[in-house]
Amino acid sequence: MALKKLILQIALILFLSLIIGLGINFSLIKKYFLGDFRFGFISLEEYDSITFITLGEAEGLFSEGETLFIDSRPKEAFQAGHILGAVNIPFEEYKKEKALDLIFLPPEETVVVYCDGSECHSSLELAKVLHQKGLLDIRIFFGGWVEWTNEGLPVSSEK
Amino acid sequence: MIRNKYILLAFRLVVGGMFTWAGVSKIIDPLGFAQNMANYRVFPQGISFFLALILPWAEIICGVFLILGIFRYASALLLSGFLAVFLVLITVTIIRGIDIDCGCFGSLSGKVDYKLIMADSILLFFSLNIYFSRKAVRQ
Repeated sequence: MALKKLILQIALILFLSLIIGLGINFSLIKKYFLGDFRFGFISLEEYDSITFITLGEAEGLFSEGETLFIDSRPKEAFQAGHILGAVNIPFEEYKKEKALDLIFLPPEETVVVYCDGSECHSSLELAKVLHQKGLLDIRIFFGGWVEWTNEGLPVSSEK
Repeated sequence: MIRNKYILLAFRLVVGGMFTWAGVSKIIDPLGFAQNMANYRVFPQGISFFLALILPWAEIICGVFLILGIFRYASALLLSGFLAVFLVLITVTIIRGIDIDCGCFGSLSGKVDYKLIMADSILLFFSLNIYFSRKAVRQ
């Protein structure tokens, strides 16, 4: 009997959490089903300078040759291989060394930020920092290094 | 098992207070917490999202209930379950060598490391003591 009461109480707590959690965040749930958070959990209204781009779009920008590609992976990964012409801003290392404040890029510069692929999130975190620094056009290439190399697109290495 | 009612009250206040604080810090930024969950690379995107909306409220409700003494054993058992899952998740993350913020206290979170395992283990000890004091009361 006591066990039944305990289970009922737990069920009630979980039910309350479910109702409140889903009820209060109804607008976010609507956005979720509209596909807003397919790549990362950021509010695209708050971060209005950030857009997510596909491999095709990244390739197009690369061919035009006017866009700065930023690789947010660790230094060793970058040195082993990166998108041709990309610069390295290793997000985790910079964060640890509190060096993110030192990044300077002109606000009007269009940048493409990437990391390994959909499994990594440093590109998203770096894009947020760049947004706070006032950059107006930040593209996150979520397919990243994995998609780029799978397609055999131009790369270079420092080894 | 500790039976002293004053120590058990202190455990309830500590565990309840910690989880209430943790829950509130997460509901302020649900998307940030969803991203924290996704960073563990265990849950699919959808599960990370819905867990991030519901879990903080479960933490707050259990935390407040523990402090007020409402459904205290159910709350302690549920929080013990959460802590056990967190411990597994933290251990797996350390073994996999993934360097991320734990997401435990929203934007104020620290890194996933051995200190976090210690802190969670202490909270688990406290909450299990609260739960098992139920049997002592019944006897």
